[in-house]
Amino acid sequence: MRTGRSSRLSLIIFSMVIAVGLLIGSQLGILGPLQGLIATPIGVIAGVFNRIGFAINGNLDQVNDLEVARQRITELEDRLAQFQSELVELREVASDYDRLSRLLNYESSRQNEDYLTANVIASDDPNTLLRTIMIDRGSRDGVTRGMAVVTDQGMLGRVLRVAAGASQVLLITDPSSAISARLQTSRTQGSVVGDLSGNLTMTFIPLTAQVNVGDLVMTSGLGGNLPSDMVLGQVTSVQQFESELYQEATIRSLNNFDTLEIVLIVTNFRPVDTSTFDDNNALDAEQ
Amino acid sequence: MGYFLSIPIMMIAAALQATLLPQIAIFGGIPDLPFLLTLAWALNSPLEEGIVWAFVGGIAKDSLSASPLGTSVIGALLVVFGIHLVRRQLYSVGLFSLIWMTLPGSLIHQGVMLGLVLISPLRPLAPGQGLVSAILQSVTYVILPTIVYNLAFIFPVYWLVRRLQTGLTGGATR
Repeated sequence: MRTGRSSRLSLIIFSMVIAVGLLIGSQLGILGPLQGLIATPIGVIAGVFNRIGFAINGNLDQVNDLEVARQRITELEDRLAQFQSELVELREVASDYDRLSRLLNYESSRQNEDYLTANVIASDDPNTLLRTIMIDRGSRDGVTRGMAVVTDQGMLGRVLRVAAGASQVLLITDPSSAISARLQTSRTQGSVVGDLSGNLTMTFIPLTAQVNVGDLVMTSGLGGNLPSDMVLGQVTSVQQFESELYQEATIRSLNNFDTLEIVLIVTNFRPVDTSTFDDNNALDAEQ
Repeated sequence: MGYFLSIPIMMIAAALQATLLPQIAIFGGIPDLPFLLTLAWALNSPLEEGIVWAFVGGIAKDSLSASPLGTSVIGALLVVFGIHLVRRQLYSVGLFSLIWMTLPGSLIHQGVMLGLVLISPLRPLAPGQGLVSAILQSVTYVILPTIVYNLAFIFPVYWLVRRLQTGLTGGATR
């Protein structure tokens, strides 16, 4: 026990002597090379940490710049709000441009017809039993009753009432609308009528006619009220009834009647006035 | 094994002391990592190991310093001796015992270093500056912040050292 204590004391004294010796030797400059030798590997490690420190400092500087960045963000947000407002306007213009260019393409493809562009100013009828829209073209623009109204997606309806600067268009989905039609592929004739659910039905299709889902339904031009070969829609289903002499087909219009904005009025097509035949019949009857 | 482990650990600690830790300096005070490692190691190891850690840590630190080699060693050795004397009275090392060891230990270590620096030709007193004034400035701007830091850092350092010791000896130290 005593030996252990004295050895510890010796160790303590010995280590203190060495430490003081180091101190004195260093002060005298004797240990300079040793100090350099020890410092070399530690310096390498320190260099690595230093670079890490610089990186951290760089990030801290960025944090210090946070206030400046916040001010800049506020400025940019103000400008962004301004640009967003302009963007909305420009998108509207672009959207109009797209619609008009599509209509223009449609016009180009139908060279025999003249069109008048109109904006939809009322997309639905206040009376929910009717399916009409109001457009911003009227008699002042040469619009007359019965003119066909279309989009690049096909037939929309016919001008029902005309005012000086506006017109009301009866949509093909209105229950009172009945349009002479034919299937594009088989040339089978029929009549397309609307209903309040918004669906279109092609009726009076002969039972012998081949009707396929996906067939396009066009205006036939029969009756002289509308130009021919205007798209009315596409067949989605076919119904055959044993007791009936005709079959029916459900048609889906390619137009979305809820989002109409710009339409075309076919101005050079004049509905045939068949009233003269009625007058002639009346004359024959009188004779 | 603890002897040899001190070399890489103290090299890294000295490098950290010279590079990254000054980034968190309060006035001129930073945590004295080599000293804290020595203290933490000495708490649960034989005297010889504590002495080695004090030497290696002090020399590593002084090698990157302008102070003479051994300046940090003497104070660390005194603390290791002090721990060796009092640790038998400790049932276990806990929160209060760590504080109780670190506070006077840091004070002794820093005080010795200050004394050695003051008597060395490296830091002559400024013209008109008295010795007391120089000591007060050193205590205020360096020693006190360093002690505060040491008190805060001793806990993670001690936790790390204990894990190392446990890994090396399975906790059968002391």
